[in-house]
Amino acid sequence: MRALLLVLVATTALATPRPARDTADVGNRGSYSVGIFNPLRIAFHNRFELQANPLLFFVAPHLDARFAILKPPVAEGQLPMGVRLTAEAGLLMPTFGMRLMKGFFFPTWATSPNDIGFMLIPRVGLLASGDFFTNDVLTVRIDGALRIPLGPNNATPMNSFLAPLEILFAAPLTGFCGRLGGAYDHAFGDRLRLRGEVNLYVTGQQGNLEVEGQNLGPVAAISPFIFTAHLGLDIAVFQYSRITVGALFANYDQGATQVTTRADGFSERTRVRSNNILPTLDFIWAGF
Amino acid sequence: MTLRRYHATAMRKLLLLVPLLASCEWVADPMNFTREEVPRYKANAEHPAPVANPIGLKVMAWNVKYGACRVDFWFDFWGDRVQLTEAETTDCLTKVAALIKEYDPDIFMAEEIEVDSKRSAYIDQVRFLLENTNLQYATFDETWNARYVPSEGVGRITLGNAIFSRYPITKAERIRQVDRTDQDGLTATFYIKRAIGRAEINLGDRTVAAYVVHTEAYDFDGTKQKQIKQVYDVLQEETMPWVIGGDFNELPPVCDEKAEAGTPESCEGKLRLAGFIDERASSKGTEYEQPPYTPSVMKPFYDDYEPSIPLARYGIGETAQQPFFTHTVLGPDGVNDEGVPGRWNRTLDYLFIRKGETWASTDVLQEPGRLGIVGDPSRLSDHAPVVGTWVLP
Repeated sequence: MRALLLVLVATTALATPRPARDTADVGNRGSYSVGIFNPLRIAFHNRFELQANPLLFFVAPHLDARFAILKPPVAEGQLPMGVRLTAEAGLLMPTFGMRLMKGFFFPTWATSPNDIGFMLIPRVGLLASGDFFTNDVLTVRIDGALRIPLGPNNATPMNSFLAPLEILFAAPLTGFCGRLGGAYDHAFGDRLRLRGEVNLYVTGQQGNLEVEGQNLGPVAAISPFIFTAHLGLDIAVFQYSRITVGALFANYDQGATQVTTRADGFSERTRVRSNNILPTLDFIWAGF
Repeated sequence: MTLRRYHATAMRKLLLLVPLLASCEWVADPMNFTREEVPRYKANAEHPAPVANPIGLKVMAWNVKYGACRVDFWFDFWGDRVQLTEAETTDCLTKVAALIKEYDPDIFMAEEIEVDSKRSAYIDQVRFLLENTNLQYATFDETWNARYVPSEGVGRITLGNAIFSRYPITKAERIRQVDRTDQDGLTATFYIKRAIGRAEINLGDRTVAAYVVHTEAYDFDGTKQKQIKQVYDVLQEETMPWVIGGDFNELPPVCDEKAEAGTPESCEGKLRLAGFIDERASSKGTEYEQPPYTPSVMKPFYDDYEPSIPLARYGIGETAQQPFFTHTVLGPDGVNDEGVPGRWNRTLDYLFIRKGETWASTDVLQEPGRLGIVGDPSRLSDHAPVVGTWVLP
């Protein structure tokens, strides 16, 4: 805590708050940002930037391109204002990374040729951002990712205890992941930003169990809807960087049941949705 | 507030957050209980009423292998499946229920039965058997409850033992067994926590106690032996008429495994202790290697309780004992690396009652025709049901 205070005190005086994150804003040419968990973003043009996550890139090669469709001119040192509209398109090849998880999140398949198949995951999205008050940003987004199989695949959805993992692997394992989300980002002075975000994800079906080339039929059904809400605080440090802290809530179906006792003393087991509450933390160097 | 007190308060708040990190549900239930009551369940379907004030009870104990029938899972080493489809599970459970209905027990002890596990398609198997047999009441004691087992993609698992009854179960509880000590902390966290299940069953004119057990299979630290001794001790304290059934993961005490070859107590030629036809070489050195059997640990049960198959009937040597074998990892449709088809090759499952009481019509339901059954148990689980009629004292 003392170290954090020291960093804050050492921060140079700021004329404007940090820009809001995860919006439709595309940086001006040459701008960039990178976090430990947040992606590396580099603007190659005032209306075009590329992003990739350095932690995942070498095990799950991927690249996202962002194109600013509507981008009002931004004066030097000022934050974007007005309605911004940005299209996103990306491509992911997750197989190598998923195969590294064999034995833990996926079977080893020691006695058969079964394996996680090669696949491509294209993604497209559209984001719109606008200002309500000075330095506040409202963002709505819609995106979707699909699986294009490049061969046989024996992996089935994880149904894991972490909703973010389910979302990350939804398209590779269920064939589809769509999202409709919105976020509101409010600046408290020059140093703090509070961000609230909600998302509704729809995944594909759980799919069929393929064993050694044989389709054995559908695995158990799980609700395809995942709801998340995130509340985060960005704390400006140094000249351009920030520390982000927050909490993520997720509600999803993980196959859980709950036992309730009836009036006659006997019990019933009913299916319930599971909840996650997870801390989020990152340091983002530079920024847009 | 001093800085130290501030830090202590902050730490307490952080610790309070820990269980919330993955919601209010344990990632893996540590099962911190010694003895506790567990829920009772009742069939929604109406079943034929049992005989009032019975003089005997038909009893069945069966490890039902979570409704997987003869699908070879990864820890069997004959296959590498980690989950079943919904249709596979319901097809298997339908056949299991049909066999139970054929024998039509008054009390049925089930081991390895699951309620919301990914590998068995999240099907409530206790409810399935309640609705599809003549058993009206049940209790389920969880022995493995993990929100996610991060091994081979096993995922969510809720496995346990169940006691089903045609007569009302008035009280149900589980008694915690000792844990293994030969596992690292992470493995132990996500591993099975064994427990003894107990149910009080009201027969009208009296109440009896039924027990179900499933002791450890893979330990090398003497855990199974301690658990079997604990089961013995629990039965010693029981005041009601009782019956126990289950998978003890141990061989009958035909001999003493510690005795020198050539001595009268030696197991040589009397009981196979190792080298079973269903043990695959690739299992050696893994955490699922078969540990050495110690049949002598079962001797107190045969000395002080009444087994459904006494040693005199069990016989000496494999040929005599074969009709009473209850387990094979390898099913009849598979062959081992030497080309030998799978067959029942050892006895691990038992029924006992108090010494001096009487069994009638006991058997191991290995194949169609045994006690007139039509179903084929060898294709329904890796264990065979042990059955008998307990003549009530």
